[in-house]
Amino acid sequence: MATTRRDFLRIVPSALAGASVLHPALSWAGSDEVYVPGKEGMIVRSARFLDLEMPMEVLKTWITPGPHFFVRNHMHEPSTLDASTWALTISGEVENPLALSLADLKKLESHTVINTLECAGNGRAFQQPHVPGVQWERGAVGTARFSGPRLRDLLHRAGVKSTGKHVMFRGLDEVPGKVPAFIRSIPIEKATDADTLVALEMNSAPLAKHHGFPARALVPGWIGAASCKWLTEIKVLDKEFEGNFMKPGYRFPNQPVQPGADVNPDDTHPITALSVKSIIAAPIANATLRSRAVHIQGAAWAGEADITRVDLSTDGGSTWQPVQLGREQSKYAWRLWSYSWHAPRSGEYTILSRATDSQGRAQPASAAWNPSGYLYNAIDQVKIHVET
Amino acid sequence: MLRRREFHVLVAFCAAIFCGLFGFVWTTRVSAQSADLPPGPIQSKVQTACMECHDARIIVQQRLSKKAWTKEVDKMIKWGAVVDPKDRDAFIDYLSLNFPPDKPPEPMPRVSAKK
Ligand code: HEC
Repeated sequence: MATTRRDFLRIVPSALAGASVLHPALSWAGSDEVYVPGKEGMIVRSARFLDLEMPMEVLKTWITPGPHFFVRNHMHEPSTLDASTWALTISGEVENPLALSLADLKKLESHTVINTLECAGNGRAFQQPHVPGVQWERGAVGTARFSGPRLRDLLHRAGVKSTGKHVMFRGLDEVPGKVPAFIRSIPIEKATDADTLVALEMNSAPLAKHHGFPARALVPGWIGAASCKWLTEIKVLDKEFEGNFMKPGYRFPNQPVQPGADVNPDDTHPITALSVKSIIAAPIANATLRSRAVHIQGAAWAGEADITRVDLSTDGGSTWQPVQLGREQSKYAWRLWSYSWHAPRSGEYTILSRATDSQGRAQPASAAWNPSGYLYNAIDQVKIHVET
Repeated sequence: MLRRREFHVLVAFCAAIFCGLFGFVWTTRVSAQSADLPPGPIQSKVQTACMECHDARIIVQQRLSKKAWTKEVDKMIKWGAVVDPKDRDAFIDYLSLNFPPDKPPEPMPRVSAKK
């Protein structure tokens, strides 16, 4: 098995840096430092492969700055990627297969979508019983302005045949051992939606490496896994792609299941859009506050639907009050929300937030359990201690 | 591409130079390859087999039943983890013992500021 030079470069400096602070009392896990340029302060769920979570204390702006945007990798990032030789091919059920350079893509009309991107596994750590996977809490989510040509313009140029029903994306992720490649597909209807992009920019700058430079799919309102990074191949298929990351990966049971029960993969469907969800960003869970004037804030999103309201409870769910939704809004983007509360006395409080969307969906008291812990969206809950 | 063994030799070499120059006593992590996982009879084999593709954090953050650990180990073997069939059960026992469902969550580090 090989370690890439890049891994080597990343591990050694951090090991040397860590050496000066190593102490025998440190626990055996997590005692080493991880340095990822431009991502200071992010929670390291995994360093190799890189999985970084946004800590709640930085969720203050509607647009998430690049340094705070979560990173979810299934395997190694491409170790070498030369933008001048990189190409995006379009093949399969099309009349004219294409190979486009980055310069070709930049010449096409660019469209911008402000999208909240959330990993399907965000909140997995809260599932009971626990399920395997990256143990994300709240922060595998962020909102950015994505720009690039519309996927449908590229598909139009290639001329999709009437047999073309699904569109497959392949990324340049480096596959270790016999791990299946990261390939997934989306239905042609979503692929040809006016807001589905081949994004070249994020927040008005070229995509950063961790976010898929030079190009990624951007499938707005859908789980992050749909928006394939380091995109290199688009293939139009006559049926859904079959592979690990379509099945058993990223599927949801057709029927509610007993928590902990086995689920037959044939009784599941691929996960597409995100659910309705809100998170409490402040106060931080388990915080001790020295003032009874408490500023509560967070974010709420609903995939392809719009947030219509967020309600808050400061008494563990007995009574609920609507919060103030932030002014900034855009289809597919989260709404920030805030609420000023005066705690009646010192003590322990449980704050709950519950979002409702334009499809009439509201966050449930407990999320639908499933074997991989996808789409966790239970009413958010933080316990705080007010001490004055 | 740098082979893993070459990588270790290189690290040991750099460590030796570094210690020589600065008079450091190089104890943990880099020289002691087992620093990532808790002690146990099968620890060093788990370290070797399971750290090829990813680091230990993805393992130590799991809180799983023996049944779920069995599925994970078998999945990783299918994906290319080199585990002697004789050791499979010991791997599962070690992981279920150290990372069971009722253990408190693992604290995860933050990306450090540039040195
Ligand atoms: C050939 C490469 C490879 C080896 C060797 C390997 N793993 Fe993994 N492992 C992976 C990949 C790839 C993922 C991430 C899959 C994803 O994110 O979808 C992963 C993820 C995991 C996870 C997270 C849960 C999951 O299924 O995604 C656990 C736990 C895990 N590995 C345990 C182990 C153990 C224990 C061993 C040793 C027996 C091992 N791995 C060896 C490739 C490997």
